[in-house]
Amino acid sequence: MPGAKGGQGLVEPIVLVTPGIALLFGAFLFPVGQILVLSVVPSGEELGAWSNFARFFADDYYLRVAWRTFRLSLLITAATALIGFPLAYAMARAPRWLAFLLLLLTVLPLMTSVVVRTFGWMMVLGRGGPVTDLLMLFGLSARSAVLLQTETGIVVAMVQVLLPFMVLTTLGVIAGIHPHLEEAARTMGAGFYRTLRHVVLPLSLPGLVSGSLLVFAISMSSFITPNLIGGVRLPVMASAIYQQAIHTLDWGFAAAQSTLLLIAVLGLLVPYLALMRRARV
Amino acid sequence: MTFLAIENVGKRFGHTTALDGVSLGIERGSFVALLGPSGCGKSTLLRIIAGLETPTFGRITVDGEDITRLPPERRRLAMMFQSYALLPHMTALENVRFPLRMQGREGAAEQRRRAMETLALVGLDHLAERLPREMSGGQQQRVALARAIIAEPRVLLLDEPLSNLDARLREDMQIELQALHRRLGLTTLFVTHDQEEALSLADRVVLLNQGRIDRDATADALYDDPGTAFAADFLGAANLVPVTVEATEDGHTAILEDGQRLQLASAPGPGPRQLVLRQEDITLADPSEPGLEATIEARIFLGTRVRYLVRLGDLRLRVLAPRHLQYPPGTPVRLQIDPANCRWSREGP
Amino acid sequence: MVGRFPPSALVLGGLALALILVFMLLPLGVVVAASLTAGQFLTFPPQGLSFRWYGDVLASEAYLSSAWTSLKVATLVTIAATVIGTAAAIGLSRRRLPGRALLAGVFLSPLVLPSIIFGIGLLIVFSIWGNGPSLLALALGHTVLTMPYVVRTVAAVLADADPAIEEAARTMGAGPVDRLRFVVLPQAKGGILAGAFFAFNVSFDEAVIALFLRTPGVETLPMRIYGQLEFSPTPAVAAVSTLMILMTILVVVAIERSLGLRKVAT
Repeated sequence: MPGAKGGQGLVEPIVLVTPGIALLFGAFLFPVGQILVLSVVPSGEELGAWSNFARFFADDYYLRVAWRTFRLSLLITAATALIGFPLAYAMARAPRWLAFLLLLLTVLPLMTSVVVRTFGWMMVLGRGGPVTDLLMLFGLSARSAVLLQTETGIVVAMVQVLLPFMVLTTLGVIAGIHPHLEEAARTMGAGFYRTLRHVVLPLSLPGLVSGSLLVFAISMSSFITPNLIGGVRLPVMASAIYQQAIHTLDWGFAAAQSTLLLIAVLGLLVPYLALMRRARV
Repeated sequence: MTFLAIENVGKRFGHTTALDGVSLGIERGSFVALLGPSGCGKSTLLRIIAGLETPTFGRITVDGEDITRLPPERRRLAMMFQSYALLPHMTALENVRFPLRMQGREGAAEQRRRAMETLALVGLDHLAERLPREMSGGQQQRVALARAIIAEPRVLLLDEPLSNLDARLREDMQIELQALHRRLGLTTLFVTHDQEEALSLADRVVLLNQGRIDRDATADALYDDPGTAFAADFLGAANLVPVTVEATEDGHTAILEDGQRLQLASAPGPGPRQLVLRQEDITLADPSEPGLEATIEARIFLGTRVRYLVRLGDLRLRVLAPRHLQYPPGTPVRLQIDPANCRWSREGP
Repeated sequence: MVGRFPPSALVLGGLALALILVFMLLPLGVVVAASLTAGQFLTFPPQGLSFRWYGDVLASEAYLSSAWTSLKVATLVTIAATVIGTAAAIGLSRRRLPGRALLAGVFLSPLVLPSIIFGIGLLIVFSIWGNGPSLLALALGHTVLTMPYVVRTVAAVLADADPAIEEAARTMGAGPVDRLRFVVLPQAKGGILAGAFFAFNVSFDEAVIALFLRTPGVETLPMRIYGQLEFSPTPAVAAVSTLMILMTILVVVAIERSLGLRKVAT
């Protein structure tokens, strides 16, 4: 008899997941697969199958774009991890009202449209914005200094955009650390900071690592924020792909770059998903 | 006449065997306990009867009808779950009405009237409009009970019916379950790991061990004569003493492993045996008295009585004594045993 | 609780938290403040206080039609994603479904795959096989993107539900359809609601796929804002953005009410 619980067995769950699977295959896996096909198929008669990839690796411009994307993503990830860990720890251990407030103030920006948040950063970082004023106040910058269209500006804005991902991933792990472990360490003579260093941090590591993988993957492929803050002077991979797809209409080349980006991101997301599964289920 | 028949039912989960070919016949209207430690297969058996698990082999019939392949919703049995499993978004009344609603034989008004009547039977008609979360654990359980009996099930299955209640409520519920059983005459099968609960509620106790039936007897018979080492140990009421029986001129003598001798009234014949001694059938006496030589190891105060752990050779025996006896640990004592109270394990030594 | 933390940690931690909160809320606060300016130009701090730019927005044909487009798409998406996602989550919660861990991963994959890649894929597919991008194409893309949120919230609620309740319903004669109706859907209610709010919010705010599938007829509100930001934003953009922030706050409140933020967030 099929099915461990008798009765309708397999029919019900299969019927229930079928529409979703159909949607994912038709409207998700098929378009993504299409990119892979298009990236290999030659765009012109005279070109070979891998010409789009060859063009990418031969062109100094695109290599520089890829390197910038990678470098900025690394900086963004490090910064979110540094800020995110104490914030997640505070959320897990603070009294209820404070924890809720912190959660609210993490989730609210996360759920606000990226376009709106980026707009805010354009004003903050731009001419006459509060950051420029502050830098001037401390004599750190001349009048004309704006962070708009700088790499620093991209990093600052992206850290704010992606911090919630880091915090929530890490919080999931820290919330699972029983407070008794810290209390036990304290009774054994470890101070607060040493307890953090020797008990909480090692146990939070899976959360920090998976949060970092997630943040890195997202920032590698981010488009709206780096494009608006960095402008045409500082393109990242996503903006280059957008250029090819919408303005140059060179889909083959856009697809090839997408494929490279996809490979890089999947290389990060597979370990991320594995870590999350081990941490939760 | 067997009403519920379990014929050679077995269940394997992967490589572990939960039930190893259990056969059991249950008469109409009887009140049977499935007793055993956790992992003995008692819950699996109950779930197989309910149809929530499919047996790997074997057959189950109710009133001659083979229900082995019938889905649970068509078995016309009822089960009360350990967690009560009340529908959290429905009132007590709607919960009790639910089985009638699924049957769909009567109109809504009639279903409600019957649900109210059944709630009254468990004394909860005044809480009919409460949601489960607005009731105490004991009240929730009564709702679950009312819900289980309303549709006149052919068999009532109870999974650990008293385990979530505190001591006083547990006693109330025991009385209630027995009264309900007398009144409705429902064939009732319940699972428990608590030997006291099984012995006090059921008129027949089936003791399961490692997926097999170890003992199947009335509560009285099981207590007086556990019969197997496992039963004696699990019921906790009896001590097992390995001895060698020798025939002598005035009957039989049991020789203990440390060489001490015990005169017997009767014996199953010479050879190595397991002597079963109930803990209240051993009397403690001062070393000046006759009896088996032993030493007190510990004294556990139980309220009305005292339990002594007594060292006899390499064995540790449990002895129930009146509370006025005061032997501190380390005291040498004599154990006096009435030969008439000696019983024998049915198994080998 | 507080006694466990040394004063230095409380002071340092408090200071750090305050800084982080300012950092997190700064861009939103600046947008809200700028929207209230009485002046002609986008400045911070605002010059004078007025609601005149809100009046401008509400009288603007372009903004209103974009808002209407966003609302149409988000409503379609919410319905589709909630129905399909809820069914999938219930199916995935059944232990007897083979390969459910793998399937669950597949169902959540749109959450982590870069939307720029998904967006260009959709554009290519609709251009080659369809009549190019359209409102329905955008809704389809958003449905894929938002369905995982519904699957996640519903699955989280079902994972916590007592499986004995459905078994009890079976022993009381409830067949598969009755069990879905009387047991599973009521159990999943909070998750379904929270997932629907999530889906609505994500679709309403989404910009990348909308950018790829943009046509003159299909311009969502985030797209219109994005277009303005590429050129010269006026205080009207700040006013629209503030309205979008307000809507997000409403959605967050709704999610907190239906399931609890903590449960959804982690």
